[in-house]
Amino acid sequence: MQEKIKIIQDQLANAIEQREPLKIVGGDSKAFLGRNSTGTSLEMSSYSGVISYEPTELYITARSGTTLSEINNTLTEHGQMLAFDPPQINASTTIGGVVATGLSGPRRPYTGSVRDYVLGIHCINGLGKELTFGGQVMKNVAGYDLSRLMTGAYGTLGVILDISLKVMPIPEFEMTCHQLLSAEKALAKMLELSTGNIPISASCYDGEALFIRLSGDEKVVKTSSEAIGMDVLEQAQLFWDELRDYKSSIFNSDNNVWRLSVPLTSVVAVADDSCLIDWGGGLYWLNSDRSAEEIFNMASVAGGSAMLFKGSDRQQEVFQPLTDGLLSLHKGLKNAFDPHGILNPGKMYATV
Amino acid sequence: MNFSKLTEILPAGAVLLSEESRRVYECDALSAHRVMPGCVVLPDTVEQVQAILSYCHSHDIPVVARGAGTGLSGGAMPHEEGVLLILAKFNKIIEIDPEQRTARVQPGVRNLAISDAVKSHGLYYAPDPSSQIACTIGGNVAENSGGVHCLKYGLTVHNIMQLKLVTIEGELITVGSHAFDSAGYDLLALLTGSEGMLAVIVEVTVKLVPKPPFSRVLLAAFDDVEKAGNAVAGVIAEGIIPAGLEMMDKGGVRAVEDFVHAGYPTDAEAILLCELDGTQDEVETGLNAVEQLLTRFGATEVRVAQNDAESDLFWAGRKAAFPAAGRVAPDYYCMDGTIPRKHIAQVLSGINDLSKKYKLDVINVFHAGDGNLHPLILYDIAIPGELKRTEAFGSDILKLCIEMGGTITGEHGVGIEKINEMCIQFSDDELEQFHAVKAAFDKKGLLNPGKAVPTLNRCAEFGAMHVHAGKDKFPELERY
Repeated sequence: MQEKIKIIQDQLANAIEQREPLKIVGGDSKAFLGRNSTGTSLEMSSYSGVISYEPTELYITARSGTTLSEINNTLTEHGQMLAFDPPQINASTTIGGVVATGLSGPRRPYTGSVRDYVLGIHCINGLGKELTFGGQVMKNVAGYDLSRLMTGAYGTLGVILDISLKVMPIPEFEMTCHQLLSAEKALAKMLELSTGNIPISASCYDGEALFIRLSGDEKVVKTSSEAIGMDVLEQAQLFWDELRDYKSSIFNSDNNVWRLSVPLTSVVAVADDSCLIDWGGGLYWLNSDRSAEEIFNMASVAGGSAMLFKGSDRQQEVFQPLTDGLLSLHKGLKNAFDPHGILNPGKMYATV
Repeated sequence: MNFSKLTEILPAGAVLLSEESRRVYECDALSAHRVMPGCVVLPDTVEQVQAILSYCHSHDIPVVARGAGTGLSGGAMPHEEGVLLILAKFNKIIEIDPEQRTARVQPGVRNLAISDAVKSHGLYYAPDPSSQIACTIGGNVAENSGGVHCLKYGLTVHNIMQLKLVTIEGELITVGSHAFDSAGYDLLALLTGSEGMLAVIVEVTVKLVPKPPFSRVLLAAFDDVEKAGNAVAGVIAEGIIPAGLEMMDKGGVRAVEDFVHAGYPTDAEAILLCELDGTQDEVETGLNAVEQLLTRFGATEVRVAQNDAESDLFWAGRKAAFPAAGRVAPDYYCMDGTIPRKHIAQVLSGINDLSKKYKLDVINVFHAGDGNLHPLILYDIAIPGELKRTEAFGSDILKLCIEMGGTITGEHGVGIEKINEMCIQFSDDELEQFHAVKAAFDKKGLLNPGKAVPTLNRCAEFGAMHVHAGKDKFPELERY
């Protein structure tokens, strides 16, 4: 794989010389995310393979082009998983793309996000330098936490080569309960349940019914489900997989699909838009033809942020606009990693 | 430096200029490193912090921020020509939201005070550094502090949601939010553990977690360190994530037992403490499984605490390891490397070899669950040359940690203490990347200069200068 690294570095050197941006492509399953970007493709899917996996050390290190399904299969064999529940958009989804976009699944409020599980990154910055930050151990405070900074940075700070992630045991037992409820009652119920000692691992409201997944010790899960007093859902795995992988009906809309991350107790002005609420009330998926400005404003009033997840106009900003102070720090950081502006420029924000 | 202008920004009494008033602040808990601060300021409003930083920025004055000053790596050691910015007056809990399970607090609030304040809601703040009774949340963020429950509950970075910070230019910026995700780069992660090099934190929103209804500790003895190390891996392989998993070697067990009489088996080569939490059923099932597993891995004895009092007693021994070290030797020097768990036995044997080489005893206590080791090197500062040997011994332990695929610091930070070892762990290109990140926040290099990230020149001269340890400045604090 050293040859592949050399090829990437040559491509970078060339890009700097030609002043021609690079567009980093892994499995290409999330190309619809972020702003439209141009540039020569930097192909990463051939840089693949699990480098090391030690179940008793609770970590896996893989090359960024490794498919998520290969990683999931490897972990499942040892009764472990990626606890942040990454979306498996299609068979070509790579772990590099998972980390670059920083998107976590329905389990996230209860077990943590992608960056919570990132232990270390081996990457190439915009100057073509090969760098390693963090490592494979659970606790590491030497130097700035640049591996977490690169998580969710959409490839604008560096080309991710290898990633080390903390892994967790698969829960012994899971079951899902559901109940028809109004949105208001469902939200209240999600809040109430998450403050107790019930082993929730996912909770969502699809516009009609509330869905609660419980995970852990079989006895505890069963006792808790009785305490909640809702109906047991058959085919629960399919339900959560579809939600995680953006296959539920809310994602199949002719309107724009917006993703709003908001504080648990905030009020979101959903109006007439169809809506699915995940993350115990912390994540709203909206089908809406309202203007970006209106949605960003609504998210900001709620104390959160919005992202145009699927939509036609990707020339404009698709992520919640930053305050002036934050934007200036973003520009400074971009310049610190990629002074020539060749790595996915404009993918996140027009000026970053 | 002209500090007197600061008296125009701050109220009377909030600027300390006289030598005797500054003397108290000349070190943090790494007390062998002492520098008289040029000036000490104690603001109590965010506007004052903004004004101080803005003034220092325009006059090129270095600024070192400090909370309680309990840090063990010299990260809050003053600058002789700079301002020491004390945030201890920011000690208010601004807002507790039990529904959202968050608390918005000022940076000078003590770690344990947060858990105390939210106790009535059945909640607590999870990271529990041993100094939690005194250390402040602002310092915890700056160091990304850990504790004994990290494997299950995470470090500071996993338990905070939003920071308000003031840049060196004096600008107030909010990073993160009260939502699970925020827009843009993960500046919250970058700021956590940045050791006061990038900005000054003036407000923190922490996550709170429900107090588990039940917890219990189990103690296991081993006649061989390697068996104990393998048993740790065995617990993890079984799919069990303990709330705490601690290990102590023979030297540690004996020192502790003489001191607190926790009932530890003094003939053991190593002991493990394993804490499980959850519902009573869950914990009891888990303890049963762990007990059988440890026996299978060769434990000579397994004792399950029968009640909370016995659990506390088992913990009391572990928590007394540092003061116990202080009883068996005039001085001790605490190291903080992290290694892959599988190398525990090998690293312990390496440390023992070094102990013979340097003719200094060492007591080993580990956060075994996450591979974070705290070897305590025993020495006597009064014996000429012994401190120097201790420093060299410590540095060799850190090198060993790096060789084993670990890191020089798991939770205490680099500060001034481990700045030379940073040259071993990171390449010049990596260090340059760190400096570039620093420059994006603090172009003039005024925030905490000389800490955390060594200059390339310093690395080139590495070896010429030596850092050393000192006595515990906070003898009343538990350290474990």
